[in-house]
Amino acid sequence: MKKQALHFILMMLFVVLVGYWIFTSVRDEFLKQSRASQRETVETVTAGYPSEPENISAWLTRLAEEKNTYKVAFVKNIPMPGENLNETPEGDQNLSDLCMKFSTDPEFSKGFDHAAYEEIYRSVKNWTIGTEEEQALFFAPAVNLKTHDIDGALIFSFNTEGERGFMNMLKMLFGAAFILFAVVIWQVMMSRDPIVGFALAGLFLMTITFVAYPLFEALRLSFIENGKFSLGIWKNILNSEGYISALIGSLKLGCWTATFSTIVGFLFAFVVARTNAPFKKLISTMGVLPVISPPFSLTLSIILLFGNNGLITRWLRVIGLNFSIYGLPGLVLVQTMGMFPIAFLTLGGVLQAIDSTYEEASLNLSAGRFKTFKSITLPLTVPGLLSAWLLVFTTSLADFANPLLLAGDLRVLSLESYIEVTGMNRLGHGAALSILLLLPTLTAFLVQRFWVARKSYVTVTGKPSGRITELTTPGVRKFLVGIILIIIFFLILLYGTIFAGCFVKNWGIDYTFSLENITEAITRSRDALFDTVTLAAIATPMAGIIAMIAALLIVRKKFHGKRLLEILLMTPFALPGTLVGISYILAFNHAPIILVGTAAIIIINYVIRELPVGIEGGIASLRQIDPSIEEAATDLGADQATVFRTVVLPLVRPAFLSSLSYTFVRSMTAVSAVIFLISARWYHLTVLIYNFSENLRFGLASVLSTLLIIIVFGAFGLMRLLVRENSNLMKNVT
Amino acid sequence: MSNNNKSKSVTLENITKIFRDPQSGQDVAAVGGVSFKLEPGELVTLLGPSGCGKTTVLRMLSGFEQPTSGRIMIGENDVTNTPPNKRDTAMVFQSYGLFPHMNVFENVAYGLKLRKVPNKEIAEKVQKFLEMVGLGQMAKRPPSRLSGGQQQRVALARSLIVEPSVLLLDEPLSNLDALLREQMRVEIRRLQKSLGITAMYVTHDRVEAMSLSDRIIVMKGGKIIQMGTPSDIYRDPVNKFVAGFVGKVAFFPCEVKGISENECHVEIKGQRFETSKWNKNLNAGDHAVIMARPESLSLGEPGAGVEDGTVTANIYLGNSVETWVKTDLGNVLVQIDNPDVKKIWNEGENVSLSFDPLLTKVLEDKE
Repeated sequence: MKKQALHFILMMLFVVLVGYWIFTSVRDEFLKQSRASQRETVETVTAGYPSEPENISAWLTRLAEEKNTYKVAFVKNIPMPGENLNETPEGDQNLSDLCMKFSTDPEFSKGFDHAAYEEIYRSVKNWTIGTEEEQALFFAPAVNLKTHDIDGALIFSFNTEGERGFMNMLKMLFGAAFILFAVVIWQVMMSRDPIVGFALAGLFLMTITFVAYPLFEALRLSFIENGKFSLGIWKNILNSEGYISALIGSLKLGCWTATFSTIVGFLFAFVVARTNAPFKKLISTMGVLPVISPPFSLTLSIILLFGNNGLITRWLRVIGLNFSIYGLPGLVLVQTMGMFPIAFLTLGGVLQAIDSTYEEASLNLSAGRFKTFKSITLPLTVPGLLSAWLLVFTTSLADFANPLLLAGDLRVLSLESYIEVTGMNRLGHGAALSILLLLPTLTAFLVQRFWVARKSYVTVTGKPSGRITELTTPGVRKFLVGIILIIIFFLILLYGTIFAGCFVKNWGIDYTFSLENITEAITRSRDALFDTVTLAAIATPMAGIIAMIAALLIVRKKFHGKRLLEILLMTPFALPGTLVGISYILAFNHAPIILVGTAAIIIINYVIRELPVGIEGGIASLRQIDPSIEEAATDLGADQATVFRTVVLPLVRPAFLSSLSYTFVRSMTAVSAVIFLISARWYHLTVLIYNFSENLRFGLASVLSTLLIIIVFGAFGLMRLLVRENSNLMKNVT
Repeated sequence: MSNNNKSKSVTLENITKIFRDPQSGQDVAAVGGVSFKLEPGELVTLLGPSGCGKTTVLRMLSGFEQPTSGRIMIGENDVTNTPPNKRDTAMVFQSYGLFPHMNVFENVAYGLKLRKVPNKEIAEKVQKFLEMVGLGQMAKRPPSRLSGGQQQRVALARSLIVEPSVLLLDEPLSNLDALLREQMRVEIRRLQKSLGITAMYVTHDRVEAMSLSDRIIVMKGGKIIQMGTPSDIYRDPVNKFVAGFVGKVAFFPCEVKGISENECHVEIKGQRFETSKWNKNLNAGDHAVIMARPESLSLGEPGAGVEDGTVTANIYLGNSVETWVKTDLGNVLVQIDNPDVKKIWNEGENVSLSFDPLLTKVLEDKE
């Protein structure tokens, strides 16, 4: 009981500190804005100061009659410091009395001093003017625009009632929040499962702050222009041909890439899962490889080979063939090469799960091989094909790295929003464009999740027979394998080109062997490499552990708002990286949470974006584990944290490890969100690759790409090794 | 080890558990107002059909479920709001819940490690308990390389080693084959007796309940129907449900003619009987049933007994023969002991059933 009280006090102390920090930053932000608008008023009014002395009285009277938020008085001839006013100021009576009374006050001296130097000064303390308390005072110069002399000082008083009202409301709000927190924390501490309560509270707080709040900010700011609500941005976007063509460009690119990727993926998957073709091992390895290749690497080699100065372009030019790889065809090519593995993995699972008994039955009923394929195998794969198409479509739409280097004249949304933010500094437009990009992405995602996934015929129950019913003649088989080998050869060529690019003096111009690029790249990227690895290394264990905790809570605990938490946690998976990046800079460059420019914002971005995959893995893994194993540990006296550490984590080790390696690799190869979040202090290797490529330093870019490929493959290799070592232990006890 | 002064009583006072059905959103009372007390060192079985709330009661005792209302005491302590890891109970799970990533030794040592027992002491104690359950040689094996019975023993040792005040067993034998089940039954009873530990056992198997328990609690629909020793439950059930649930039984409709201080007079088809056991709710003139167990029934020439029928099957079991007789009341099982010296009626023969009134009870004619 004593210990609990101490914990409670400590926790409340923490809440108070954080609350105070947020409170002061909100308050300061508000005061800054309110004072800025007061100063603006002062400037505008001062600018209207009449140049004819005889008009001054009339001007002041008019101002007084206008029912403004301020009162104004005019002090003719600014007094020297310490001197009394020799004339009663004109204008508001109470203000003028105040001036007479306090003209030697240090604050007034300071104000007059500023006015004498044509500056506006705001008194640091508030004054009681007449019967009104807490008035803010501004001192402004009265400049005669004809003679350019300073005739005197204009003194403004502003009512701070609004400010104080807001402060009081803020204080009450924070007081209420404090009491709410105290009650919740006390409730949780007194509950039977305090650790679970705190973990849940932490997850909710995390997702609300770093998922819901940035998205809300992005949406909000797309409706705000010049500090006011406005549909201007959206009207501008929807009426502009440029933006609409970018939307169409994105959709076109997505459709082409998805279609080609699904065809290639199906070819690979069919040959591996449903035929007795040779080279199956090679085919399935090469069919997965590109999915983990770093961004820019395939684009880079495509440029090296087919770019304006590319190796193959030059040969083709010799035989009179002229073309440009920049634009839609080039992008479709490079995206297909990079994204067909998604289709391959999806369809591989689907095709493998089809029981060959169906095909045997069809053949047995004397249908031909092609007829069987057409009427049995293909229809069973249709949901899988749709699902693969939609997955690639979403990925292509959200893709940012490839268009960045290869778009040419083609406009796509992900790129457009990046240009709006970094090139034009129009954050609102950037946010609106990336929200526009979210619409097709989200639609595809939801269709896949809730419609296609439900239509799937393949059930997990029943044992697949393990046999393969050969539906292809040797000739057809050779033909299919031939096509696949050409694609694989092309992939190897692409990777080989990057590797070769490291050792060539100046690609496109001078092909002599040289190690200069390597030394230069390493020198120039040392800091970025260090940053990239550090940030990924910090984010990796955080994401892994949080993912496993979230999975455990979702699978095993009953609580209110579970569905909401799941949605909040899973949302980042469906969001294009550019939207995440833009919403983060929008949300975290102002009070109460300022993170832009720090390492924290990059780490948080990694963790939030890679959590969904880790959680999915953890959930799948936990569903396989008998809950009574955890209950047994609890029953023997372990608290929730001990159960997690000694039982859950070891049991979900494969899921945990793959979540770790996934987060690490994705963080090492991140571009789309991180390009908005990097700063001079915290840089990212992929952005450096981009910069080198933009400056046509392809040699340097190749070296860094090769380096990234080595790191990524190394991380995956290590993970596979660790999982395999553990896998024989995982045969569950029943 | 025999007189464990740690063993404590367990008291449940008016325990209710209401679950919300996730589909309909309606509240369902899984347990409705259950009260009972376990004496120190006693083994009590919760017996009932699936869905009767017996496992929920056990899980509330262990702390995995929180009662909606009521009070749970272990010894003198109110543990109603104590989380499972702070309760002095140990549970043996239906699926054993062995830690697959630890070997047998580590599994059994887990509870002691949590209690920060010195390593040397852990090693000695684990070895002692493993030998006690006959697994002294298996310490280094992973659970996946043990048979079902061995896994069960590991689970038992793991629970007993932390010397809990109360041992909870949730259908621990349901995953074992018949022979092993019988062995483990004896084993569990021996360990429980020798450690003098209070134990609560949940099962839907009446033979298990009869052979293990000091007392049996029969549950149905979240409520306790009857509580008593195995022979009470068998010979003196409170209603037709208990009578039918704990063993084979035949019910003969009868009319209550009169009730005296220690006898109940009934009439079946003009024949009068007196029994010493009857449901106290019955009054003269009521329609009732007489329950008769297979061993209290006998066969005779048609017309001689209370009900006529035809023999449909004879099952020879060595020490007895079970004869199935088809009657207007349904199929009735008759057990004939020492069959080699008694008359056995052949299939298809017409017979009549009669019973020994001393071994019967008059019950209300309702479930």
